[in-house]
Amino acid sequence: MIFNSLDFAIFLPIVFLLYWFVTNKNLWMQNFLIVISSYIFYGWWDWRFLSLMLFSTVLDYACGVALGRNEDKRTRNLILGISLFCNLGLLMFFKYFNFFLDSFEGAFSLFGQEIELGTLNIILPVGISFYTFQTLSYTIDVYRRDLKPTSDFMAFTAYVTFFPQLVAGPIERATHLLPQFYKHRVFDYNKSVDGLRQILWGLFKKVVIADNCAEFANIIFNNSGDYSGSTLVLGAIFFTFQIYGDFSGYSDIAIGTSRLFGFDLMQNFAFPYFSRDIAEFWRRWHISLSTWFRDYLYIPLGGSKGGTWMKVRNTFIIFLVSGFWHGANWTFIAWGALNAIYFLPLLLANKNRQNLGIVAQGRILPSFREFFGILTTFMLTVLAWIFFRADSIGHAFNYIGAIFTNQLFSAPYIVEAESGLHILPKMVILLIILFVFIEWTGREGRYAIEKTFINQPKFFRWGFYYFISMIIFLYGGKSQDFIYFQF
Amino acid sequence: MKRFLFQTLIFILVVLASFAFIASRIDGCADPHYLKFTSPKQKGLILGTSRAAQGLIPSIIKEKTGHHLYNYAFTVVHSPFGPVYYNSTVKKVDPTTKNGLFIVTIDPWSISADRKNPEDANNFREKNLCLANTPEVAMNPNFYYLFNNNSFGKYAKPFLVKDNSVCLDPDGRLEVSLDLGDSAAIASRVKQKEVHYRANMLPTNSFSNLRYEYLLKTIVHLKKYGKVYLVRIPIHPLIMQIEQELMPDFNLRIRKAVETADGYLDLTSLNEVLSYTDGNHLDNISSKKVSEKVGEWISSIQ
Repeated sequence: MIFNSLDFAIFLPIVFLLYWFVTNKNLWMQNFLIVISSYIFYGWWDWRFLSLMLFSTVLDYACGVALGRNEDKRTRNLILGISLFCNLGLLMFFKYFNFFLDSFEGAFSLFGQEIELGTLNIILPVGISFYTFQTLSYTIDVYRRDLKPTSDFMAFTAYVTFFPQLVAGPIERATHLLPQFYKHRVFDYNKSVDGLRQILWGLFKKVVIADNCAEFANIIFNNSGDYSGSTLVLGAIFFTFQIYGDFSGYSDIAIGTSRLFGFDLMQNFAFPYFSRDIAEFWRRWHISLSTWFRDYLYIPLGGSKGGTWMKVRNTFIIFLVSGFWHGANWTFIAWGALNAIYFLPLLLANKNRQNLGIVAQGRILPSFREFFGILTTFMLTVLAWIFFRADSIGHAFNYIGAIFTNQLFSAPYIVEAESGLHILPKMVILLIILFVFIEWTGREGRYAIEKTFINQPKFFRWGFYYFISMIIFLYGGKSQDFIYFQF
Repeated sequence: MKRFLFQTLIFILVVLASFAFIASRIDGCADPHYLKFTSPKQKGLILGTSRAAQGLIPSIIKEKTGHHLYNYAFTVVHSPFGPVYYNSTVKKVDPTTKNGLFIVTIDPWSISADRKNPEDANNFREKNLCLANTPEVAMNPNFYYLFNNNSFGKYAKPFLVKDNSVCLDPDGRLEVSLDLGDSAAIASRVKQKEVHYRANMLPTNSFSNLRYEYLLKTIVHLKKYGKVYLVRIPIHPLIMQIEQELMPDFNLRIRKAVETADGYLDLTSLNEVLSYTDGNHLDNISSKKVSEKVGEWISSIQ
């Protein structure tokens, strides 16, 4: 079930009413309803993978219990090893098996040996990377004694399967989310209104920005050989907004939905395209994944404590793994490597933590220096997204090459598939400008419209929400799958 | 909680009411398919691709046959024969129909599919399009269609732009009233179409047994409600040549369909004498001529 569907529009109110009117007096029942709803939500795609989720839940619950009962270090290592092996093994099999086979064949062919290993017809279970990381965080935290193992199986299952963030995050830590399942939730008017507001903004990002940008980004990337450099730049910018609108929109809907049920999820995006350098960008983009890798990979590897070489090595490892996490394709690894290269000068100059606050806080406009930083970071990010979106490394290089060699300064245009006419999607560009304006004015909140007209009379506030709703209906693009489902 | 529910409900109702108002303003010129899903279930249908959608005029055929017809043809991308079109057609037929009339137009493309895997319905392009994602086909306003096929600016179009060049008539026929230009302009469009078909369609398509089975299934199903006639609509000779390359044995392949139906009219002998907007579609004058011919033929054998 996807968030921007009629199915979810019916599903959510039903679960909401049951939750607050039927199960509201009993904690166990509240958690049970969440589990049942989550299984329905997930099974809507493919019920066959429910067993996989159940396996992951039982495994990590059992590992947690076993870790709680054992003090012996070797036994604890073994238990952690079992959890890592099984969780990462499933992830490797479903997500990377064919990639490794292909790469193996490719490596052999480099030496003049042609081998035919074939591939398996494996369907990637939706959201496997997300819930695998979430359950792993629990076992690792229990292993490290940062968290007490839970004996409440229902609460743990609800934590693993919690439908708002099950398939595309935010990847919640057990230390943050699990305790919320131990406490009886009480309806909170302000929290629920805030949740609805964030859902509205998430829908705007997904349906208006991401889906419209996707339509044109797809045309340009799929026919990149036919277009001028200026159109290719436009295509890369469209994809830049598509991926942000798509993923942060999903996160907003997930966080907003959770608030309707009395839960607080972590912020996953903090206006990353207003970052003044790449280090700041990575503190603001997909925060739940970045901090996961920081806490469970970067720091255990030594972090930045072991001198320059260690810092550089660990930075590259974390970016490459992050790229690989996104998908079984060399393009994602190249995207990760490119970001590591962007990051390196800041790291070596020890300037990777110079922009920690909100840009132009308390001011309407940024300073020239801030604006230059934002623009440079944005351009570097756009360039990196080309690797992320391209079908192959070769495609990415050809795309970038064509930008600089093929009429970069001509007027961009797109060939409309049905009519064959040359068009410039002016309305999409206008909507992007409106979107950037609203994001900029709301950058001091957790999401852009959190405080918009909040101190104004109700009429303005409601009028604004009505305006956003109508734009969603009037200018919503053709429905596209959420990009991050495939990860 | 009561306050929250009340306010939320009011807000949703206001938004939905606005949306319903906008939906009620969507006419045949704003969306080439929407009204096909808001019209009632029908006792007579014209099925096929865009050739039939533009080329067969129900009112003219009714004059000759006395049968009410609704043009439920879409495009070669949306409505080639297959599970999607079959299921939608089944829903569009009024189940109380007796002695109905059904015209099923056929051509090689509507029984072809991507040559990589022409027998796998999961790879058919129409599976993600409006016929597949609109489970109710006679609902006004059709919220399924509106939610699932929300293409950019479509709903704003009736307010912002009034484009009457491509409009869906109330009987389901797609009327194209573009200024076609002089004969040189038409010839240029035909050439473009030929190049497109030769470069993009011919190399990627091949006969699909599955699609053909669904053509047969459609005929068998419609025969429960009346007479079913197969028609092959004329096209420009240049496009015809490509179709012959795609399926040189077309008439042989469709023999079982012809035997199952109540009659087959192949009008491609008129290819040379009719005129087209782009080689693939008849212009308005030729559409009238062809519709008259089809009507006369049906009334002569009924």
